[in-house]
Amino acid sequence: MAQIEVIGLTRSFGELRAVDDVSFTVPGGILTGFVGGNGAGKTTTMRLIMGLLAAHGGEVRWGDEPMTTQVRRRIGYMPEERGLYPKQKVLDQLVYLGELSGMTAADAKASVLEHLDRFGLRERASERVEKLSLGNQQRVQIIAALMTTPDALILDEPFSGLDPSAVDSMADLLREHASRGIPVLFSSHQLDLVERLCDRLVVLAHGRVVATGTVEELRGRGPELYRLTLGGDAGWVRDVDGIHVHDVDGSTALVEPDDDSARQALLRAALERGDVVDFARQVPALSDIYREVTA
Amino acid sequence: MTAAPWTTVARREIVTKLTDRTFLLSTFGLVVIIAGVLGVQAWLGSRTTEYAVVTSSAAAHRMAEKVETVAEASGDNLQVTLQAAAGDGVAKAAIEDGTADVWLREDGDGWVLTGREDVAAELRSAATTAIRDATLDANAEAAGTTVDALTRGSEVRTSVLDGDADRAGVAKAVGFALAMLFYLASFTFGLALANSVVEEKASRIVEIITTKIAVRQLLAGKVAGNLVLAFAQMALFVAVGLVGLTFTDYDRFLPAISGAVGWFVVFFVVGFGLLACLWAVAGALATRTEDVQTTSTPLTMLTLGVFFAALLTTGTTKVVLSFVPPFSAILMPMRVLEGTASWWHALVALAILVGAAALVVRAAARLYQRSLLQTQGRLTVRQAWSTPE
Repeated sequence: MAQIEVIGLTRSFGELRAVDDVSFTVPGGILTGFVGGNGAGKTTTMRLIMGLLAAHGGEVRWGDEPMTTQVRRRIGYMPEERGLYPKQKVLDQLVYLGELSGMTAADAKASVLEHLDRFGLRERASERVEKLSLGNQQRVQIIAALMTTPDALILDEPFSGLDPSAVDSMADLLREHASRGIPVLFSSHQLDLVERLCDRLVVLAHGRVVATGTVEELRGRGPELYRLTLGGDAGWVRDVDGIHVHDVDGSTALVEPDDDSARQALLRAALERGDVVDFARQVPALSDIYREVTA
Repeated sequence: MTAAPWTTVARREIVTKLTDRTFLLSTFGLVVIIAGVLGVQAWLGSRTTEYAVVTSSAAAHRMAEKVETVAEASGDNLQVTLQAAAGDGVAKAAIEDGTADVWLREDGDGWVLTGREDVAAELRSAATTAIRDATLDANAEAAGTTVDALTRGSEVRTSVLDGDADRAGVAKAVGFALAMLFYLASFTFGLALANSVVEEKASRIVEIITTKIAVRQLLAGKVAGNLVLAFAQMALFVAVGLVGLTFTDYDRFLPAISGAVGWFVVFFVVGFGLLACLWAVAGALATRTEDVQTTSTPLTMLTLGVFFAALLTTGTTKVVLSFVPPFSAILMPMRVLEGTASWWHALVALAILVGAAALVVRAAARLYQRSLLQTQGRLTVRQAWSTPE
């Protein structure tokens, strides 16, 4: 299956190292989320992948080959700052972009109309782009990236500015394309969204990759924590062997067992002492992990 | 297999322009102006003015007939009708009530033309000529000789060593018109091109386009599209002008013009292409539409310079500049029109112009490529040249 591989990518602007030795892969068939704060280097990395900027070091590979212009032409790309001709009609504009990608005018038109239908924009086809709302302009932009049935998708903040139902239809669309086996990389600063949608994450901070992996893998990076809620005071937990206590607050304790047997011993001890209201694995939210890795 | 990307870009440039109301209105407006100017010329030229000349004696009537002959031969579309009056009083009354324009009578040893308020200049000059010739003939005959014998050897003719006088005048007028057209086309289309480049830059659509096609293809398409449009617009103006000219008295110069117009066309294409690439660079150096005015100032100067060089230079300067791009784009076809440059001069100038255009295209492509994705403010040429891709 096709995949995009980024190896040691580096790019400076004057003194600033915007992207510093960045390596990760975007496997085919799944959605890869690209996360990082403002100025972390997401947009620069995506531009480097698309060949809009020349790398000062490192390379981008397409499967086993170096990335070429021919391959890039088959990648659906959506830049962060939305680019469309404001005064041109929606249909004309999209057909033009399709033709530049190598489609015939007829194929491009058919594909555009199909996508406009899907987003409920069919009747706006002959309107100028500047007449559309920002959300609808964004939909048009996405169509520009998807209409060619691309071999990969690189989308910079595709969800920003969309209402919840548009986010859902956009997410469905991205999954649909990923299920064709193509690599899909999209950046976002909406962590809840990324957590819900992504199969894989690449976290960037200050131009460097600070974490990669599935959401589960990232969560697994932290300590395995359990929350124990009792009928009475939980202070005694501090004295149990093999248990590292992170926090005790009245009847609730946040603990990190050394191993499985220590965990089971803790639960048995609690049951012997009285009422156990709750005992559960404490899964950190992605935002917690994000704060931790980018700190 | 689909078309080469630059043809797609060029097609969009053309279609966008042809559906732009401002462009269509300004083109239409200029056509109306050209047609209007020539129409007025033609109307003035073809208008026949008629004067009624009244006389009250047989001698005056014979003289008036001579005036009629001279007036009609003058080519000024002058027509004279004759009225014979029974006496001076009747003739005077005819002038007063407007049934006649002029009363011609003999007075002592001369002639008098009497009008109500004035006597039209063209009629006066026709009358003067007719009366002088007639009187000279009569006087010569009385002296036993002829006018021809008297005036033999006094004729003054003019001649010009290079070509003829008429042609030089026409060359000047047509050259001015063509220089004006070149200036208009390269300025208006150049500015529009720079603006469309900065529009793509500002809206960032250029990021999408350049992931699909090479920057050179984009540049080539934009220049080609505008060249086709400029050329079509100019051809329209020239066609309207030439058709209009056939309705005026100047139509006799058409054959002399047409050959040089061919050279003008060739030089126009290459010269416009050279300047258009530079305009595209001016657009790429800017980030916002407001910047274009600054980044394009040197080009505005250059375009104006070419225009004024075409109008004002003479002698050696003109000959030298007619080989120097981009001045040669208009000066050489003008010299061919004047007949002061031969076909091989034109070929040499064209070769130099093509060579310069090729260099400019390469440099422009580099500048365009490197500044197109820089969106932090205005760039200088030096910055753009040394910016890594």
